[in-house]
Amino acid sequence: MPKTGSLDPDSTLAGQISIVSGLPRGGKLPTLEQVRGPGAPRRFPLAIAETVVGRGQQANVTIDSALLSRRHVVFRRSGPELSLADLDSQNGVFVNGVKAHSAVLHEGDTIQLGDVVFVLHEAAE
Amino acid sequence: MSEPSFVRFWGTRGSIPTPGHKTRRYGGNTSCVEIRHGDFELVCDGGTGLRELGLDLVQRGRPRVSAHLFFSHMHWDHIQGFPFFVPAYAKDSEIVVYDVEAGRPRVEELLHGQMRSEYFPVNFGDLGAEIRARTFEQNVVELGGVTVRSFEQAHPGKSFAYAFECGEKKIVYATDSELDLLLTNQDEAGEDPAALRRLPAALVAFVEGADLLIADGQYTDAEYPHKIGWGHARANTVADLAHQAGVKQCAVFHHDPLHSDDAVEQKIRAACDRLDARGSRTLLFGAREGLELKL
Repeated sequence: MPKTGSLDPDSTLAGQISIVSGLPRGGKLPTLEQVRGPGAPRRFPLAIAETVVGRGQQANVTIDSALLSRRHVVFRRSGPELSLADLDSQNGVFVNGVKAHSAVLHEGDTIQLGDVVFVLHEAAE
Repeated sequence: MSEPSFVRFWGTRGSIPTPGHKTRRYGGNTSCVEIRHGDFELVCDGGTGLRELGLDLVQRGRPRVSAHLFFSHMHWDHIQGFPFFVPAYAKDSEIVVYDVEAGRPRVEELLHGQMRSEYFPVNFGDLGAEIRARTFEQNVVELGGVTVRSFEQAHPGKSFAYAFECGEKKIVYATDSELDLLLTNQDEAGEDPAALRRLPAALVAFVEGADLLIADGQYTDAEYPHKIGWGHARANTVADLAHQAGVKQCAVFHHDPLHSDDAVEQKIRAACDRLDARGSRTLLFGAREGLELKL
């Protein structure tokens, strides 16, 4: 319990409000659940404004698949909106089976990069 | 290899804007599709999605917007975004509005009309951009690098489809068309819902070989009998048109305002199943706001 008159950040913020732009209520992060491809199953919280996924070391999320470009796709958070953009990858980005240059994303969308498949969860962690 | 074209959906809803949590995935803004090809900014319809496009054009930092606007027709859900199209207020913008039929500049007149003081606080004449009308000649307009063809559709008051030939790519925008009134095998299609719904040869030729067909598929088969004459097609009929015309990708568009995201997905799944049953190579999906394709 916080003392009266003091500020306990954990208790003040937990699960109630978000004062950070773009963070859903309760501080839950949007997450990519990798369901297929090297390293699956695993989860990648989208904790920063821009997350680059690829097979190269320059990517924020590195996946060891020859079918991925070094910097394949970027996931962006802007306020409550989540989107992705293909970074001119060799094999493209498929959102729910459609080859997309860019897309606004929603809960449950499947995103395929080569042999890697993610399911997006808007606030899962 | 020719320059790529980019197609982005800014509004995919039919009839009336439908915001809310039930329509987040496919979006609630009414018809607006952007086609970029080289320096060309081509806009299909000015529904409420046009507002979002205008804001995005400004955000892209384009100092001067030069846009070509093609209206399928002038019903509310295809023009309401125009008064909120920010580039129309910029003195250095240029907007060309196309009329398919010669004679009175109907399109421009109607854009004027919705900005009369009874309806909107800013008068059309006060817009800063240079706005001019241009008319198709014999259903074709050449933009120097892009050829646009028009095709008259079945809709109350008439509407037009447009085929954009951008280099080697063909994009067809065909919304607000009641395809089901045009079937050449009405009896067979009525008796057997699974039978291929045959469309007139001229329409199939207009769409033929498109890399992307964006087509009004507002209704399910079950809904359509209650909506005959309203000017919109069954999604399953759109699937049949796409298959007959050898379309590569087909985006079902102009979603019913009564449809939640789940309902749209059921409608799309049924149309995909129909294509699969024919062994079709057409990829069909539901057009949704914020999706951009590179062709």
